[in-house]
Amino acid sequence: MDTAVNQTVLEEAGDLQQKIDFKMVTFRLGGKDYGIDIMKVKEILKGNKFTFVPNTLPYVAGVYNLRGDIIPIIDLRKMFYLPGDVKKHKAQEEVIILRLADDLILGIIVDSISKVQGIVSDTIQPPHPLFGDINIKYIAGVVEYEKHLFIILDVERIFSETAESFEQIQPTGEKEKKGIIKKAAAREADYNFVVETLRTFKSFYVSDLNRKWVENRFKEWRTFREDENKPIQLADPEDAGQYLEKYFSPYTNMLWGADYKENLLKLMPDPPEGMFNVWNPGCGRGFESYSIASIARIKYPESPFKIWSSDNDLLSISAAPNLQLDRNEIPDYFFKAQLIVEQDKGCKFIDAIKANIIYEYHDLTHNNELPKLDMIIARDILSFFDLSLQDHLLTDFREHLKDGGILILGINEEISGHGWYRLEQGNIIAYKKDKT
Amino acid sequence: MRVEYINPFVESAFNVLKEVVGGELTRGDLYLKSTTHPVLGITVIVGLAGDVEGSVIIDMSEETALAIASVMNGEELSDFDDLGKATISELANMITAQAVTKLYDLGFKFDLTPPAMITGQNLEVSNAGVETLIVPVDMPQGKIEINVAIRERG
Repeated sequence: MDTAVNQTVLEEAGDLQQKIDFKMVTFRLGGKDYGIDIMKVKEILKGNKFTFVPNTLPYVAGVYNLRGDIIPIIDLRKMFYLPGDVKKHKAQEEVIILRLADDLILGIIVDSISKVQGIVSDTIQPPHPLFGDINIKYIAGVVEYEKHLFIILDVERIFSETAESFEQIQPTGEKEKKGIIKKAAAREADYNFVVETLRTFKSFYVSDLNRKWVENRFKEWRTFREDENKPIQLADPEDAGQYLEKYFSPYTNMLWGADYKENLLKLMPDPPEGMFNVWNPGCGRGFESYSIASIARIKYPESPFKIWSSDNDLLSISAAPNLQLDRNEIPDYFFKAQLIVEQDKGCKFIDAIKANIIYEYHDLTHNNELPKLDMIIARDILSFFDLSLQDHLLTDFREHLKDGGILILGINEEISGHGWYRLEQGNIIAYKKDKT
Repeated sequence: MRVEYINPFVESAFNVLKEVVGGELTRGDLYLKSTTHPVLGITVIVGLAGDVEGSVIIDMSEETALAIASVMNGEELSDFDDLGKATISELANMITAQAVTKLYDLGFKFDLTPPAMITGQNLEVSNAGVETLIVPVDMPQGKIEINVAIRERG
């Protein structure tokens, strides 16, 4: 019996093998199975560091250095308006490298690459007009294999289309809606352009962290620019700088005023057992760190504390340990608490303050090595990292904080999600790490 | 890396190279790298211990090493033999030692280990978890990279 069955299986396999005359690389995209003729596939790889190219079509993920050849990478999910998999930070994207006619080489990002599947070309059926997700003219055919329906893409055709005809790829319904909401769309286009240019000129990334502010600012900005008779869009870094000028927290690049000191004093916990550790990434020339150290000294005259400050701007951070100040830029409370001494050349912090601050030249995206922290003060820096890094850094902040530790972000930055308990103390927005 | 550590290394690299090799020296922009980076071919490692832990890695191509060793010895070396290796190791030792002396004057106490030389093609150095400061120096003989990876003892 067994032998008989085996015999049939073998025969069948043999039969199939003889007939297999089409091999395709199969992959998943938006929950469906797709295939691409293997003769068009040069290789597959995993990667995530695609270099962003400004002013390209939205589905161009960037360029990739493939052993010295720079090739464009297309995000197929975005190109076909398919729901994308949300990849975790630093997750590797799966990329199929295609070699098309005229030796055109490009990469496409898919959700996941499955395998190479051999099929019999006779079983490929023409696409049915009802296949809605992807415009029918880009489909070479459909084939069923082992109860999976594979849609075979005509990659030559997809990528031989010029950028201008990109509109056609959109599902038809999308276009009709566009006519109706044209005006809203124009406004949205302006907004999107602002979001793009903020990234290009100032590497400011709009995310949940700052979206509320960016949107409100956009309304304000529109009125302002219309009054000035200037275009709404940001033409150069100066425009972008002007757009962002109200973004920054109080007392940026200066010593903190008395009101801010009072608020921070209220947020600081009772004297901890042992060292009170504060992390101050993005400290610039050190105004922030000196302010924190001074306020910590006022709050905890008896207990030891340490401020871990870092910045990736070498020039600013190098100036920090020996910061010279002008008499008139120092709020009175620094003198009252005798934290600053006046010298011939200017004012300087006393050594007891300096000794408690460690200034490091450091890139936040690298490994952050720190003790368990009581407080993190990271005002207005997260927005200048791309979205996955923002997520990554928030996780990193969380891991470094003690339970009940305080995270202070910029005045226009907010985080949601559980695990953080929002505290508002005057002009300081803080988040307490929940024990859960 | 603490900002106080940066200048001593930059200065001593510059001083030592100027003194023992001479010629037009230009310093490239300093930058940071995380964990792993490829090295050029001839690599000397000097370990640091004391208040901190870490290492200084001085890195150059073989042609550069040969040219520098020739200048330092006052004779044309045709291949990178024991004399060449000893010369380059000594150069690394001088740079690190002078930096450590400068740091001592600033109140930081470091000890160093004897230099270890590693040669070969397609080498990579991993300093797990320690961010590295790269000081590139361009010389007539070629480019030297000084990699300083130091962390505070936790």
